[in-house]
Amino acid sequence: MKRNKTTGYRRKEIAWSLLFVTPPVLGFLIFGLAPLLTSLGLSFTSWDMLTPATFVGTENFKKMLQDEKFYKSIYNTFYLLIGIPIGMVISLLLAIMMNRPLKGISVFRTIYYIPVISPIIAVSLLWQWMLNYDYGLINEFIWTIFGVQGPNWLGDPNWVKPSFVMMGLWSGIGGTMVLYLAGLQGISSVYYEAAQVDGANRWHQFRHIVLPLLTPIHFFVIVMGVIGTFQSFSQMYIMATDGGPEYSGATIVFYIFQEAFKYFSMGYASAVAWVLGVIIFIITLIQFRFSRRWVYQD
Amino acid sequence: MYCSVFVWSYRVCLFQIWGESDERLEEQVGRRHDRVVFSFSFVLSGCGSNNDNGTGESNAPPTVSTKEPESSESPSAEATGGFDPEAKAEIEFMGWGGDSEKAVFQKLIDSYMQKYPNKKVKYTVVPPGEYYQKLDTLIAAKKTPDVFYAGGAQFNKFVSSGILMNLQPMLDSGDIVDPGNVWQAALDRYRFDGKLVGSGDLYGLPKDVGPWAMAYNKDLFDQAGLSYPSAKAGEYTWDDMLADAKKLTVVNDRGKIDTFGVAGYSLESAVWANGGDWIDYSTGTITIDTPEFAQALQFVADLSLVHKVSPSPDDEKAQNGYSRFVAGKVAMFPMGPWDQPAFWDLPFNWDIAAWPASPNTGKTATWLGSLGFVVSKDTKYPDDAFSLAAYLSLDRDSQKQNYELGQAVPNLIDIAKGEFLQMEKAPQNRQVFLDIIEDYGRPPIEVGSKNTKWLDTFWQDVSQVWTGKKSAADFLKEEQPKLQKLYDEGNK
Repeated sequence: MKRNKTTGYRRKEIAWSLLFVTPPVLGFLIFGLAPLLTSLGLSFTSWDMLTPATFVGTENFKKMLQDEKFYKSIYNTFYLLIGIPIGMVISLLLAIMMNRPLKGISVFRTIYYIPVISPIIAVSLLWQWMLNYDYGLINEFIWTIFGVQGPNWLGDPNWVKPSFVMMGLWSGIGGTMVLYLAGLQGISSVYYEAAQVDGANRWHQFRHIVLPLLTPIHFFVIVMGVIGTFQSFSQMYIMATDGGPEYSGATIVFYIFQEAFKYFSMGYASAVAWVLGVIIFIITLIQFRFSRRWVYQD
Repeated sequence: MYCSVFVWSYRVCLFQIWGESDERLEEQVGRRHDRVVFSFSFVLSGCGSNNDNGTGESNAPPTVSTKEPESSESPSAEATGGFDPEAKAEIEFMGWGGDSEKAVFQKLIDSYMQKYPNKKVKYTVVPPGEYYQKLDTLIAAKKTPDVFYAGGAQFNKFVSSGILMNLQPMLDSGDIVDPGNVWQAALDRYRFDGKLVGSGDLYGLPKDVGPWAMAYNKDLFDQAGLSYPSAKAGEYTWDDMLADAKKLTVVNDRGKIDTFGVAGYSLESAVWANGGDWIDYSTGTITIDTPEFAQALQFVADLSLVHKVSPSPDDEKAQNGYSRFVAGKVAMFPMGPWDQPAFWDLPFNWDIAAWPASPNTGKTATWLGSLGFVVSKDTKYPDDAFSLAAYLSLDRDSQKQNYELGQAVPNLIDIAKGEFLQMEKAPQNRQVFLDIIEDYGRPPIEVGSKNTKWLDTFWQDVSQVWTGKKSAADFLKEEQPKLQKLYDEGNK
């Protein structure tokens, strides 16, 4: 009797748990796993959405190896990664400045955070104007201060990527700053006091207390930054018409988009997408491996 | 509006533009296409196949139509039923466009439904930038609209994938369309012989034709004391144009060029006039590595590089040719019929001329754009869909309204050669538009391709010639194998 009762109770519990678990699992299966596997299958086919897909084996991957635009877009994407360390330094400095009981500090924090919540399309349009060769604010500024003509930011293949990095810094710093701010405020004053007693100056405190204790945040910022950079698309879509001069502004996701939705080479686009997925996976794996060496865990 | 054909870069371009009013913006969007995408045009398999059709009217050779796969059989069988004005039907029609285009078509559809109360038309408008994505998704999901827009390379892709209904039997059997009164070049654009677009059975009806003409600022010519370029093909040559452009180019006090003689010179026009071409579609060979092509490309590049009579790429970035022209700072500039409304407001006098002829051949050429109405092969109401497409394409009232609004050249020859030519407004030499349609206009380069990656790559890479990094001949020699590979991958 007693046993039966518990089984009934258990059964009920299991039923409830299944009920709660089913929606997200179904959601994942239908909208996550199914498209994932489909695209894996598609990557071995040639499909234009109009005629049935035909199996082509590893043809797409072989084609990729000789595809100039594929390499170019990979290179462009890696190039954009240099924005991450630069952004980290600036954000950390900002966070330290913001981490003071100043009057109206929340106003400043808000100002720096505004770009983060601005829609990327609006930001891109804004920057497109600022970067204009003849009339843009930036070249206007360079002309007034230095008396030289600034670069043709979005028109010169050598300057397109720096433009994107610059814009990425502006729009990304606020978010990272808030993370650092939270990290800074999580550092107990005990450490500073102890260091002061030992005669440590500001630099020592920064070097031996702040930096190490913020390593989990560094790590988070780097991992997310790398993934975000590999997925960047919108700003290129808007600012670099058709990939920019000599395809200098195209990222890998932009390339996938073009192949899929401009030329409707769904098979090839899926193959490139999978290569991108594998690249991100490997890089993230490496980061986690190395993280044990330098990330401080309480 | 025709200029929105090139959906893809529509949005992208939108952001690159100096627009004052919305209308201007739209015009300029069109404008960019000519340089960026529009120019991604293409040629049929040379004039050969064109001429085959150019002679007669409905000369779709029956031998070709029987060769067609089953796709043509079933509709022709159904078509024998003919169009029944009383029968009930529900037709889905999908197009793109802004508010103005939507309003025009909604009116047209309402009047169609009034005429045939038993026909219900469901009209869907998609933003231009998403049109082909949405359409392809619908097709893949087997929910193809009954009637929809298709043009250029997309038409080629759809027709060769067997998505479209063969309209030839309906054209032959019914009296809805009088093919003798529709531009031959416009109909040929929607013919397909089972392999190439340009001849064979009809698979679409033109929404519009867009002759790419050369406009010029009359006031600037007057000020320089020059006579106007001729409206007749072959009379005004590259040399004449260059000489005039040099006199028309004005340098300001600071040493910067204030007024340019010419801007946005059409490379297609130059290459074709000189006897070159991008590709021979009948064999699938990229033919850019010819001396004729190199000479034409160098000629266009030198307008800015050597002669400084045309804005450089940097100048274009700062302010594009269109804005310069409307500001009265460019003497000669290309235009399509859809530019008319904006140009009517200009504070200077202008007109259109024939494109300059190559001195080597004495000939001229330019492209003739077009967008079409096509019918899905899987439609439940083939005859009704055809009747709707024909109504949208050729209804006299809407054709009249369209040209009065300055949107297009009429598809109907009698209207075009009659009241359209008599119209009061600029340009005076309206005949130039008709000459292009009837004589020296060619389908844009892309029309013969299913996949235009090769052509897009060409326009991207050719910037090395515009900036003077490479000579035309060197560039074309290196580029040919690359384009050939891309073309083969995407089209064979």
